[in-house]
Amino acid sequence: PAPAEAGRAPGPPDGGWGWVVLFGAFLSIGFAYAFPKGLAIFFKEIQDFFGTSYSEIAWISSIMLATTYGAGPISSILVNRYGSRPVVMFGGLLCGVGMVSAAFCTSILQLYICVGFITGFGLALNLQPSVIIIGKYFLKRRPLANGLAMAGSPVMLCTLAPLNQFLFENFGWRGSFLILGAILLNCCVAGALFRPIGARTAPVKTPVTEEGKDALKGKITEDGPVENKPEEEGGKDCFEKINQYLDFSLFKHRGFLIYLIGNVLMFLGFFAPIVFLAPYAKHTGIDEYSAAFLLSILAVVDMVARPTTGIIANSRWVRPRIQYFFSFAIAFNGACHLLCPLASSYSGLVVYSSFFGLGFGMVCAMLFETLMDLVGPARFTSAVGLVTIAECCTILLGPPVGGILIDTFGDYKYMFIKCGTVMVLAGTFLFIMNYYNYRMLAKEEKERKTKEEDPRSVRTEDEGKKHWNKDSTQDGPELEPLREKGEGVKKEING
Amino acid sequence: AGFIKSPLSQKRLTQDSVELYCEAIGNPIPEIQWWFEGNDPNETYAQLWDGARQDRVKINATYNLHSTSTISIANLTGDDSGMYECRASNDPDRNHLSKSPKVKWIRSQANVFVIERPEIATQVTESSGKLILSCNMSASQPTITGHKWIHKEKILEQDEGTEAFTSYTIDGKREEHSGVYECVYEGNPQIKGQVNISVAPQVTAYKKSEHGNEGDTGVLTCKNPSFPAVTTWSWYKSGHGLLENASGRYIIKSSGNKTELRILKLDIEQDTGDYFCNGTNSYGTGDATVNLRVRSRLAALWPFLGIVAEVLVLVTIIFIYEKRRKPDEVPDDDDGGSAPLKSNATNHKDKNVRQRNAN
Repeated sequence: PAPAEAGRAPGPPDGGWGWVVLFGAFLSIGFAYAFPKGLAIFFKEIQDFFGTSYSEIAWISSIMLATTYGAGPISSILVNRYGSRPVVMFGGLLCGVGMVSAAFCTSILQLYICVGFITGFGLALNLQPSVIIIGKYFLKRRPLANGLAMAGSPVMLCTLAPLNQFLFENFGWRGSFLILGAILLNCCVAGALFRPIGARTAPVKTPVTEEGKDALKGKITEDGPVENKPEEEGGKDCFEKINQYLDFSLFKHRGFLIYLIGNVLMFLGFFAPIVFLAPYAKHTGIDEYSAAFLLSILAVVDMVARPTTGIIANSRWVRPRIQYFFSFAIAFNGACHLLCPLASSYSGLVVYSSFFGLGFGMVCAMLFETLMDLVGPARFTSAVGLVTIAECCTILLGPPVGGILIDTFGDYKYMFIKCGTVMVLAGTFLFIMNYYNYRMLAKEEKERKTKEEDPRSVRTEDEGKKHWNKDSTQDGPELEPLREKGEGVKKEING
Repeated sequence: AGFIKSPLSQKRLTQDSVELYCEAIGNPIPEIQWWFEGNDPNETYAQLWDGARQDRVKINATYNLHSTSTISIANLTGDDSGMYECRASNDPDRNHLSKSPKVKWIRSQANVFVIERPEIATQVTESSGKLILSCNMSASQPTITGHKWIHKEKILEQDEGTEAFTSYTIDGKREEHSGVYECVYEGNPQIKGQVNISVAPQVTAYKKSEHGNEGDTGVLTCKNPSFPAVTTWSWYKSGHGLLENASGRYIIKSSGNKTELRILKLDIEQDTGDYFCNGTNSYGTGDATVNLRVRSRLAALWPFLGIVAEVLVLVTIIFIYEKRRKPDEVPDDDDGGSAPLKSNATNHKDKNVRQRNAN
């Protein structure tokens, strides 16, 4: 492709086919998050059939969750190499194959492999590309798109739970797994909708030395697919090759590090309250159906909260300060948990569930949006992979630690206090660090502006392109689209 | 030799049991014996051995670092009242028939009082949706310091009254609250009475409708949570009569409160239908119905194939639609679309506009 036009696709469409892609992402994300939870209905029957203990069955869920989060980097590498569409379609196929083979399993170990690993891996291949492609199709409306897509999780959960019950009663667990395998193949349909779009910037190569490269060389390395230009660096060493697929230089990125630390901390206390809400309700004497109803309230509020948060996060007032909103949401969640032990009656727990659903939805809706905001769509692919594998450990640790607290003290309130404290800490940390980050970004922005207005030779389009590329691969490009268009045009004319 | 622990004096009721414990040290390790002197004025001490008094006496002794000995007497009668002595000696000549031992046996005594067990009249009355359990002790010989009502090892109610009469009220019906209830009179000694609420078996099915796969084993379960336990369980199939254990493909496993009917190699035609489980005890019988549905092996296959077909159709439609819209699209878009979607001149202007925005 001609150098002048290569990679110079129009920016994200923010509409049109984007809405179809959003629907596909909605399905895909919904399956990835809701499916492991929906499987719990089959566990009792499988436990009786194989004659194992409950903890051995629970491992299936854990393996699935661990694989879905742990395979994040692999997913990122594949998306960097092949793009979203083939990865999602392959992921859907893998899920289907995993569940269908699970229908014929004869031992618990085979179930671990088929349901845990294979399906888990397939779901990982579903989750990451869906989130990534939203960033490619939306820019101005991206928070809204993220909120809508993440709403897929509670909607799918509310659909899957009764569906699984129905399937189980009519077909038994083997038949249900067979049919669920076919249903998961619909992820391939979602993947087919992920029409590739041109706003693809090459994976970053040694960005720290960017300033050293001259304009022309910089342009060639950053336009177009990197694999087709082996001559530029001579012999590529192994590290650089890995860096090409998975951007480890992100660990030097200030915003990424802030996000990573804050989120890893947050996930310690994020999921445990949901796991223990129903047992806690039963512990305070509430009957089983009312306890289950609490979870339904949570899911419904969650369902509404996510798109609403997306709309709020998209608004003019919040979007530039979206990191603060995110920190606030996390701290709000933490405050809810800290206040929960005060709610002793059923109506108190209903109030708690509603607020928890609200907080949970707010955090989930912005989970990936804030990461995109910090690192930019180009490096988001690698960022999301690295973040999920780091979160994997704390996600798996959270509920068991909560369980240990409950068993040791015999009281649920310590678990709530622990979760609340962790999340309030995480929220405060993110708030402070992001304040610092915004100030640093503003400072760097000012420096860049003074450098640009420096009178130099006439700016060619190529040079302008180089700046555009540099911007998109450095920190905080998100402040750019929000400035007035007129201002930008004026500068171009003047420069 | 010397005593570390001496036996304690105790009060007991007839038919109860009593345990006396004794511990001694010395070098060499002393031997412990138990001796008894009755309340009769002309009774003298007689030694007790393991198995005495028609095997009601049990003596358990250990001689490790020091000597311990426990004597327990079961099913006490009034004649068991008296003075029990724990004697210890480590003199090598202690049991010599002719020689007198140099060191005397050391002794420690405990008094055991066996009191006639008072009669407790128990009653269960049912009136206006309530059940009233009552205990009335005939002789208030022992001093009563309080009452307690216990069910399934949980204390239901307790008070500090001293009357011989105590009662406990439950809201509900006999059938819902069957079981063994104990009224306890606190004091020395503690006296317990037992009140039973007995009903006919309240038989229920674990699940009203069960499913099984063709060729697999189907399990139908019925339970009886009420008191007393079921003595005989039986299973019937509508149109077949009584099902016998180990006849053909049926296996029945029963216990006092649960019964399980297993059907091997389920057949769709023969085994689908209603099954009745029937439990009997001395107060009556109860039964429940369980419906069994046998699924064909291939039942799940049709929805599966249907959904797979739908997926294939949808994917094909999507790809065809895409190819129709952009016939000039370079087909190697598997690398994530490095080629821009629109490559005509008009977009060149768009690109420039976008660029300016990005700056």
